[in-house]
Amino acid sequence: MVGLGAGDSADTDMVLNIGPQHPSTHGVLRLRLRMQGERITAAEPVVGYMHRGAEKLFEARDYRQIVVLANRHDWLSAFSNELGVVHAVETMLGMEVPVRAVWLRTLLAELNRVLNHLMFLGSYPLELGGMTPVFYAFREREELQAVMEEVSGGRMHYMFNRVGGLKEDLPAGWTRRAAAAVAAVRSRMGVFDDLVLGNEIFRARTRGVGVLPRETAQAYGVSGPVARASGLDFDLRRDEPYLAYGELADVLRVAVRQEGDCLARFECLLEQTHNALELAEACLGRLAELPPGPVNQRLPKVLKAPEGHVYTWTENPLGLNGYHLVSRGEKTPWRLKLRSASFNNVQALTELLPGCLVADMVAILGSLFFVVGDIDK
Amino acid sequence: MPPLPGSGLAKGLAITLRTMTRRSVTDEYPDTEPALPPRSRGTIALFEENCTVCMLCARECPDWCIYIDSHKETLPVERPGARARTHNVLDRFAIDFSLCMYCGICIEVCPFDALFWSPEFEYAEEDIADLTHERDRLREWMWTVPEPPALDPAAEEPKEAAAARTAAEKAAGREGDTA
Repeated sequence: MVGLGAGDSADTDMVLNIGPQHPSTHGVLRLRLRMQGERITAAEPVVGYMHRGAEKLFEARDYRQIVVLANRHDWLSAFSNELGVVHAVETMLGMEVPVRAVWLRTLLAELNRVLNHLMFLGSYPLELGGMTPVFYAFREREELQAVMEEVSGGRMHYMFNRVGGLKEDLPAGWTRRAAAAVAAVRSRMGVFDDLVLGNEIFRARTRGVGVLPRETAQAYGVSGPVARASGLDFDLRRDEPYLAYGELADVLRVAVRQEGDCLARFECLLEQTHNALELAEACLGRLAELPPGPVNQRLPKVLKAPEGHVYTWTENPLGLNGYHLVSRGEKTPWRLKLRSASFNNVQALTELLPGCLVADMVAILGSLFFVVGDIDK
Repeated sequence: MPPLPGSGLAKGLAITLRTMTRRSVTDEYPDTEPALPPRSRGTIALFEENCTVCMLCARECPDWCIYIDSHKETLPVERPGARARTHNVLDRFAIDFSLCMYCGICIEVCPFDALFWSPEFEYAEEDIADLTHERDRLREWMWTVPEPPALDPAAEEPKEAAAARTAAEKAAGREGDTA
């Protein structure tokens, strides 16, 4: 005990380390909290424990090999990550993707979004002490993962995107099984509204907790469902449509809340999951109407992006993912800079945590929906 | 109107009760084997009879986990005065599954169909060195390689099938000429 009886608050401050190995951090994120009693006075996320040098590795890989690495930084959104890379290369090449591939990519990206969100819909209540929802979430994940595995061969790292389209066409009968899986998951999604969102304890622990004002969210470059819960009404699928989202405008609903608290973030995530399933259903409908055709382009033996640079961005499940591709006309990029959603989203903790009780820390941390691999790359 | 206090908890319990009356969805592995689709990326099989030691797989592997050794052998001269021909003989083909990222690029680039995916996945080892499968073990996996699934009706014909069809048509045409 320092400064006994002095009454000097500065002396009673304690520095508390959360992590790097902590069950609520989905990986190895470390938080350095300055505490005064139970209250947090300053917070600093210490990142980098999982840094794998992905961007540097990209510089020594061709565009097919980059897809292998790129789908791993955010391991819950592998398909969407792959998509961003090939999207950047295709933009650079001015390559047109076959229409069936565009709709298939949209479908698989939305299924991947559902898979990602289901993980957080299950794990967030778990962090708040609710054991059961995670089992329901994993039941649904299993259903969709079976569909993804049948088409791509992988359960997490799909490796299904190629520059110019997809790796291979669908197995016969896949669309029927995918439609059945989507319908089954949709019919059971109400579980999360009833079991989690309606639960008094859950609401008490999240409502009004960790309010992220709109301006702060904007200043920190927060994006995705976390930003939309703070009233930042911005979604690339609607505001700068890529893939087939332009034609899905009547199905796409962007979930927005004004409160900016943990509850609003969870509500946005849940609403977005419902909508992603509707989008997947719409894609399957359109896919059935499309005329037969290829799902990829014939590529040269050695694929080179022309000299120049391009910046493309996509609405990943967790937020904006940006890809700055600089090419010198080689078969490898000269530089491929990754802007990942979780990195920016987690920085907002420095503003969010001070003033909170340590008991609310886990609720706030979990509600930012991040993957540490996506922070550290 | 605010909801009745405790109604959220009651709703949650109703879900639990409903689920209790349903059959469990859990498969009790290892008593129940998982049903894996043919494209499932479990392990890589080598059909070494097809391998010409072109090294494409080893070169294209993003983390260089394929090891290939070979030597050249000279074939006996068929007619006097002809040039002696050499061919590659495979000495070692190994994949280190402790490094492999299961991306499948090696299988994709193989021009002679010597590598295949197999859904088998039960090859965990106590010693990391045992995860390097040598050619005999990789050849054994060949027996587990499933037939590729039929493609969606809207898909383009696979290029192997298209090539076979053109060849068959050509052959049929030639027969027609001679008849």
